[in-house]
Amino acid sequence: MATPLTLTSGRRQDGAALLTAVGEIDMSNAETLGAALDDTTGPVVLDLTAVEYLDSAGLSVLFAHVERIELFAPPLLLPVLAISGFTDLATVHTAEPR
Amino acid sequence: MFVVDDEVGGDLALVDWEATPLGPPGGWPQSLRTAVSILLSSRFPMWMAWGPELTFFCNAAYRRDTLGRKYPWALGRPASEVWAEVWDDASSRIDTVLTTGRATWDEGLLLFLERSGYPEETYHTFSYSPLRDDDGTVVGMLCVVSEDTERVVGERRMATLRDLGSDFSVVRTEQEMLTFTGRQLGRNLRDLPFTLTYLFQDDGTVRLANATGVAPGHPAAPAILSADDADGVWPVTELAQGRSALVDLRGAPFTDLPAGDWPQPPTQALVLPLLRQGSGPYGFLVAALNRYRPLDDGYRGFAELVAGHIAAGVASARNYQAQQRRAEELAELDRAKTTFFSNISHEFRTPLTLIMGPLEELRGHLAGADPRVREELEVIHRNGLRLGKLVNTLLDFSRIEAGRMQARYQPVDLAAVTAELASMFRSAVEKAGLSFDVECPPLDEPVHIDHGMWEKVILNLLSNALKFTFDGSIRVRVRADDGHAVVTVADTGIGVPAGELPRLFERFHRIENARSRSNEGSGIGLALVRELVGLHGGTITADSVEGEGTTFTIRLPFGHAHLPAEALAPPTGPAVLSSDSYLREALRWLPDESSDADDAPSPVPVTDAAARVLIADDNADMREYLARILRDAGYLVDAVGDGRAALRAVRTAAPDLVVSDVMMPDMDGLELVAALRADSRTASVPVLLLSARAGQEASIEGLRAGADDYLVKPFAAAELLARVRASVELARLRGHHARWRTALVDSLQEAFFVCDEDGAVIEINASFADILGYGADGLPYAPVHPWWPDAAVDPEAHQQAADAFAGLLGHGQGSYTLPVTHRDGHRLWINSTFNQAQDPETGRRVVVGTFRDVTAEHYAIQRDSALASLSTRLSQATSLADALGGALTELRNLWRARSVLAAVFGGDDEPALTATDDTFTWHGLPGERRDVLTELRHRPLLTPAADRTGAGILLEHPQGPLALWIDLGDNRPFTGEDQLLLSLLAGHLAQGLVRAHQIDQQRETAIALQRAILGPSSLPDGFAVRYEPATRPLEVGGDWYDTIALPDGRIGVVVGDCVGRGLEAAAVMGQLRSACRALLLQDARPGRTLMALDHFAASLPGARCSTVFCSVLDPETGQLTYSSAGHPPAILAHSDGTTRLLSEGRSVPLAVLPGRERPEARCAIPARATLLLYTDGLVERRRRPLTVGIDQAGEAIQAGRDVAVDDLATQVMSRLAPEGGYDDDVALLLYRHPAPLEMVFPAESSQLAPIRSALRGWLTRCQLSPQTLQGVLLAAGEACANAIEHGHRNAPGGTIRLRAEAFVDDLRLTVVDTGDWKTPQPEANTHRGRGMALMRAMMQQVTVTSGSTGTTVDMHTRIA
Repeated sequence: MATPLTLTSGRRQDGAALLTAVGEIDMSNAETLGAALDDTTGPVVLDLTAVEYLDSAGLSVLFAHVERIELFAPPLLLPVLAISGFTDLATVHTAEPR
Repeated sequence: MFVVDDEVGGDLALVDWEATPLGPPGGWPQSLRTAVSILLSSRFPMWMAWGPELTFFCNAAYRRDTLGRKYPWALGRPASEVWAEVWDDASSRIDTVLTTGRATWDEGLLLFLERSGYPEETYHTFSYSPLRDDDGTVVGMLCVVSEDTERVVGERRMATLRDLGSDFSVVRTEQEMLTFTGRQLGRNLRDLPFTLTYLFQDDGTVRLANATGVAPGHPAAPAILSADDADGVWPVTELAQGRSALVDLRGAPFTDLPAGDWPQPPTQALVLPLLRQGSGPYGFLVAALNRYRPLDDGYRGFAELVAGHIAAGVASARNYQAQQRRAEELAELDRAKTTFFSNISHEFRTPLTLIMGPLEELRGHLAGADPRVREELEVIHRNGLRLGKLVNTLLDFSRIEAGRMQARYQPVDLAAVTAELASMFRSAVEKAGLSFDVECPPLDEPVHIDHGMWEKVILNLLSNALKFTFDGSIRVRVRADDGHAVVTVADTGIGVPAGELPRLFERFHRIENARSRSNEGSGIGLALVRELVGLHGGTITADSVEGEGTTFTIRLPFGHAHLPAEALAPPTGPAVLSSDSYLREALRWLPDESSDADDAPSPVPVTDAAARVLIADDNADMREYLARILRDAGYLVDAVGDGRAALRAVRTAAPDLVVSDVMMPDMDGLELVAALRADSRTASVPVLLLSARAGQEASIEGLRAGADDYLVKPFAAAELLARVRASVELARLRGHHARWRTALVDSLQEAFFVCDEDGAVIEINASFADILGYGADGLPYAPVHPWWPDAAVDPEAHQQAADAFAGLLGHGQGSYTLPVTHRDGHRLWINSTFNQAQDPETGRRVVVGTFRDVTAEHYAIQRDSALASLSTRLSQATSLADALGGALTELRNLWRARSVLAAVFGGDDEPALTATDDTFTWHGLPGERRDVLTELRHRPLLTPAADRTGAGILLEHPQGPLALWIDLGDNRPFTGEDQLLLSLLAGHLAQGLVRAHQIDQQRETAIALQRAILGPSSLPDGFAVRYEPATRPLEVGGDWYDTIALPDGRIGVVVGDCVGRGLEAAAVMGQLRSACRALLLQDARPGRTLMALDHFAASLPGARCSTVFCSVLDPETGQLTYSSAGHPPAILAHSDGTTRLLSEGRSVPLAVLPGRERPEARCAIPARATLLLYTDGLVERRRRPLTVGIDQAGEAIQAGRDVAVDDLATQVMSRLAPEGGYDDDVALLLYRHPAPLEMVFPAESSQLAPIRSALRGWLTRCQLSPQTLQGVLLAAGEACANAIEHGHRNAPGGTIRLRAEAFVDDLRLTVVDTGDWKTPQPEANTHRGRGMALMRAMMQQVTVTSGSTGTTVDMHTRIA
């Protein structure tokens, strides 16, 4: 059973690419996220507010696109992002899960 | 409907339902469909019957446990057909259910099921409850069963084993032991329908020693078997080689066998050897087998334990008897000898002295009386002498045996001494008409002999020769041969029959009907000769031809290397013959002796017959001249060369007169007189001085010095004789009283002594010298007396002697038992009694005392008390180790040793060391000590070895040979008595160890069996249980714990306690436990369960007043529902350190008020709290409120909040154990919420999400904060991902195990994979490196251990 993850692509009102993830991200599905990011060009807003789990495999994908990502993350994921140093390289907004 | 269960459902679907009254399943009512679904989904054994024919259904558990080979045939058949063999039992119950609608209940019912191809003894606890159809009519029944066969059979076998062992503290005879054993075996006719115990006999037969369940005389139980009869009733030859056998009992001679408690006789018997360590078996046990049970490992093990028990019993009884017998024989022999010899000396010597003294007087007075009177007096005199000689000979024996023979070995020309002795017999031999041939050329080297002893040797042999020789000759020869002096005494007498020759030197052995000159003789002379020759380091042999003569050959070594150095003495003057009793006796055998005596002028004036004169003169010629004159006049003469020698001789044995020259070197005559007069013992000895100095002054000087008379040289022989006679007679009158006193004192068997005011010993008797080795010649003995034990070697003994001496000086009277040292160095114990007295002559205060040698008694008492205290120690021991440890302490105290070591050489490389000092280890011992212990192994058993530092012995320990060493420190004596004691104690210890070993085994068996009853072997996660039987007496008990997995995932948790102890309580416990289990399965409400249990207990004898804590736990939520029947409250220890007692839901013990409603209480067990259920043995102590114990238990749980629950159980048991162990049995059950999580899953990334989900649920139950929870989840995820990616990248198909356990403030997470991290380089991959960093960031401690079998990641974090 693969880890549940739903990815939705779109555009924000300001025209930036928007990728919304719902579920959990681990080594079994990190590549899916990577592929979705590869499909975008230019700055991308990544909304992880509905992601309950993110591990080092997911972080690797994020780091690959760190220069162009603007991240929305729930408080639960902030320690992982901080410890890995991701918050130092990219813009990370805290957002309560809806 | 049937798909609920693949196994039975599939077979149910295959049944031809059309053919049954139920019709096709499609048409079944909803109620039946529901019942079948419940049945199939349950994991508990159930069967049901439905409809008019009671059509049979069952589930998989029932198939497995009970139905056996009847599956699947039974499905869909009428129940009466399926259970035809037990239908009588079943149908009545089913009828009750169907007609009344009420459930039935049966506990441990015996049913013979034919599920394995034979009628099998099985026990079941079951209830039948009604099943109703859709309109509520009872149309069937459901039976919930649990099979109790293992428990019931196990309990029964355990009961027998326990009964067998119930009497092990008492040592019995073999027959008593077998009778007892038989009684116990006869009480279990189910497992042992009959038994026969056969023992191998010394004569090659095999004897029936015990039989149970079968009458003696049955063809299968012959009283005697032949050991080599291969075709006998039982396979004896096979058994004799230690092999067991299974014997078929169908057919002759096994017809009409008794059936035990069964309807049919047994068909098989297991025959087991009664094994003996290191030797062939003692015998064998025939155990007829229960035909209704299979011979599985359990059954065989039971029979082997029984046989082992009997073998151990036989071993113990035989050892005990052998030891007992040996000890009794030794003691008896000692007693007989001691009694005999002390009677002889005490009862004969004193009266003999009192006969012979007056007799001598009478002979003097009646010298001119009627010849008949004189003749009769002579008869009395002769026989008195004879009796005296016999008594003295016996005393010589007792002295030799006690090592007290006072020997003084002096170098002599053996030829000359022997020739002189022989010459005494010349006249007698010639008078007998025999030729006397003495051939004694001088020898080149001196031989060391004791004159007195040698005289007895030669005179005995000569008188023997004369007695048995009627024609021919007697020859005496002395020659040298090969470093030895050889003395032969040969005769041409009647000879000795060849058959008698070997016993010739035996004590009291006489050759019957031998022709001899006299019938006198005690048969003791030759035995004494052999002993005396032996003391000289020599040998004596006899050659004889009947009718031709006998030759005795003595061989004595030259030199003195073979003799004790302290017994050597310098050469003295010519030998003095001290005894003529042999010759006088021999002369009387000759027919014409009396007439000759009348005719010949008697050489001995009768009045002076016994007068002894001591001559002291430095001039040898003068000495010989004086001796010749006096000897010719019939005196017994001793001669010495100076005053000092004379003084010594007088002190040793006072003569009737001393004739001394005045002028002598060293000590002259005047000094001699002064010394004699100064000593009260010698003051009365008359002295005749001889001097060349004439004149009044000289004689006055001599007389003033104390001399009795004075003679100036030269003098005529007649004048000397006249003076001597006058002096002797005068002295005899004057010294009459003193001599009587001396004679009496010397005849005392007890040692006698007189001490002066300063404690110096100034007078002693012969027994004193006998016992201590210090003679009169050393007087006076000033304190510290030489016989005091050496203060440096044995300070304690020295102090005891000093104390006794202080009593003697201080109080002047008293009685003491004290240790002393014999002159030759050996240790003696004496009992001394003394009193003050006044010397009538001087008026000085003296102390007069006597003492006895009580060495033998002392050691006997010491042995008895040592054995008694060792026995006490051993009987109190509760285990093998305890027994050995206690015994070592006992030995150390007994010998006041520095330490005592015991090394058991079991199978291991290194022996197991036990020591009185706990810090000793085998490797810590000095190498030489290890060598000593190792060498002991090669010695025979129970044979002590001693050196200057201690003593050791080898004995048997149940686990191998045991070498024991007593370290006494330097130069402490370990005497022969000590060695005897050590071997007795070691024998006793070996036996005690066997008994202790049996206790150990019994204990292990008891616990193992109790645990088998208690079960379950696999507990649900999060639980730990303990059961500990009471220490003493070792008994199973009525306490129990139980966990029951309920169908809805909850867990029944029960702890209970039946009244009483022992087997009955255990049996009640087993039934209550089973009932409670079944009741909870039916209705998982603790209150209802206890109410039903009330009814059950009311009908079960011994169950009333049992207490039970019954609860149901939801492991998901921690919700606990409970009800207590008079049981102590459960204890709940929270993670914050507070404690709560679960004391609600409480009511009276079982069956006190049956029918009364029981309350229930609920409680939520918070995360990381620990629950303790227990029985009162854990907390109840004498003279202490129960609450104190409960508080202590709470504290113990709190103290262990941070250890794993199983370790905590161990901690609590040991922390609360009273000193000396629990005196009541204890059951204990612990649960920590939530139970640890443990998951095993394939190493695939698709597993990560579900594993995470389960872990998240568990972490939530631990009530962690969301951030902590997320951190732990992430760390676990990373560890699992690592395992998948690295551990199993090259080896797919492996598994990963994840375990999480919560402690009070700590959470531990372990991830173990089975993969192969060939190059553990997680940093090579960036995001894996990041994973490790995340793990370290999220957890406080991360340890990664890689090995050939996989990698373990161990992580901790604080969660408080």
